[in-house]
Amino acid sequence: MASSWVYAARRLLLAVPLLLGMSVLIFGLMRLVPGDPALAVLGYKATPEGVRALRETFHLDEPIARQYVRWLAGAVHGDLGIDYRQNEPIGRMILDRLPITLELTVLATLAAALIGIPLGLLGGGRRGGAADRAALVLGLVGISIPDFWLGIMLILGIPLGLGVLPSGGFVPLGEGVLDNLQHLVLPALTLAISRAAVLGRLTRAAVLDVVQRGFVQFARAKGLGERAVLVRHVLPNAAIPIVTVLGLQAGYMLGGAIVVEMIFTLPGVGRMTLDAVLERNYPVVQSTVLVIGAMFMLVNLLTDILYGLIDPRVRRR
Amino acid sequence: MTRGRVALLGLVIVATLAVAAAVAPLLPLGSPTEISKDHALRAPTAAEPFGRDDLGRSVLSRVIHAYRVSLGVAVSAALLALLVGGVLGLVAGYAEGIADQLIMRPLDVLMAFPAILLAIALMSVFGTGALLVSIALAIVYTPVVARVVRAAVVATKIEVYVDGARALGATAPRLLLTHIVPNAATPVLVQASVLMAIGILIEAALSFLGVGVRPPTPSLGLMLADGRGFMLQAPWMVVFPGLAIMLAVLGFNMLADGLRDWLDPQRPSR
Repeated sequence: MASSWVYAARRLLLAVPLLLGMSVLIFGLMRLVPGDPALAVLGYKATPEGVRALRETFHLDEPIARQYVRWLAGAVHGDLGIDYRQNEPIGRMILDRLPITLELTVLATLAAALIGIPLGLLGGGRRGGAADRAALVLGLVGISIPDFWLGIMLILGIPLGLGVLPSGGFVPLGEGVLDNLQHLVLPALTLAISRAAVLGRLTRAAVLDVVQRGFVQFARAKGLGERAVLVRHVLPNAAIPIVTVLGLQAGYMLGGAIVVEMIFTLPGVGRMTLDAVLERNYPVVQSTVLVIGAMFMLVNLLTDILYGLIDPRVRRR
Repeated sequence: MTRGRVALLGLVIVATLAVAAAVAPLLPLGSPTEISKDHALRAPTAAEPFGRDDLGRSVLSRVIHAYRVSLGVAVSAALLALLVGGVLGLVAGYAEGIADQLIMRPLDVLMAFPAILLAIALMSVFGTGALLVSIALAIVYTPVVARVVRAAVVATKIEVYVDGARALGATAPRLLLTHIVPNAATPVLVQASVLMAIGILIEAALSFLGVGVRPPTPSLGLMLADGRGFMLQAPWMVVFPGLAIMLAVLGFNMLADGLRDWLDPQRPSR
């Protein structure tokens, strides 16, 4: 057990320089925007006084390195500055919207696992059969569907066509669990389908890989039933790559949430990012991209650590 | 269906779309940009199988013309990434040590973002336009290609035949070009096909979100964004551009799947 803690600690330490690199990249990128950022943020409302006030608030007259350190020091303490358009602390705005994005991602990950893993088992368990071929085609189509189009088709077919489920908007979990879930079913499905397809394809490949191994043939040879072989010998071994890919997919859904939140008008962090990009509100873009990027990294890190916990071979490398 | 046939079908789909896009102006399709209010929101007919949009433009003509942008962006982004990422991966894998660290650690930072988020962040700085989308996508892909190439180089350079060539006095560039690059080609070819599939999806998503290709250039993502407002009166405005994206992505994915199994007979997924 001790070695897995060492492994986890090492992975955590490696995350620090990566996170620093990400912050440098985002900060540098936003400074590449042509023109005066103060003018870009204020847009048509810019007055000389306004621009001067903004330059002072964001310390735009200081050397870039100092601006960066100031921003980073603030970010570490949860202070991401003020959004000039809404006159609200950016950190507060992100905290208000984060639960929506997280709930969407968690639900979509669950849905992807519930659809993808059985699909892969069905295919991998009976290779070459009708179920396998159907699962293969579904998987190939699934990874090729643009999720934003799937969302539009779902809205067209279900809320607009059948008149059930809302086509957009959000009700917080605290104001009614059922209402909340009704608003998230379609967005979560939209996000989940292509990820489920990836997971299904991987589960099938993992099962086929394990089935060929000697210990599975031995289990069969000693007279164990197919079901027992699958549950006791194949699944635990196939679980390692499946868990890894599920973790990676959960991370990617944080990015996919930007598109899905836009289609279903969910007020999450993805939506906030997109609005800020379209309004050229760079202080907000810089903060939300850092937060989503950091969460993506955190999910990948947790997946790595989990991988090390369930597969002792990884730790020894 | 055997994997060989999957690859072939993928190739046929991709080639057909590419040829159609290339000769689009010569096809008897009508203009993709000509506005005719009299025909606005006309439902599909035999003569106009995909219907007309809110400005009376032919949806079929716009879809075929949009493939020019879609495929152009996907292919040029993948090629650019292959060039830059390929060279970086070769150097990193062959040199190892400090050069390897100096190249790969900054690329890790690029890979630490979800692809779509990085692409949106880049586009927010670049502004809109097809060329800029290609460049943004190439930046997103470069670390992916560099990793694949580096891994192939590291695996190949310890082979006996490379040692042999080195013992016979082959220089580093000669070793790389005649012995190492050909062996790295297989995974790179598969990766390139996957990247083109993803490129079509991301270009469409960026244009759909308003940070990709600029109107009035016909783009599948822009068409979907326009069509959303007329979903109920004219569902063909959203159905066909979406199917068009899916078909192209499917083609590249089938090509990648087929190539992967064809080139790597050890994989169990046939």
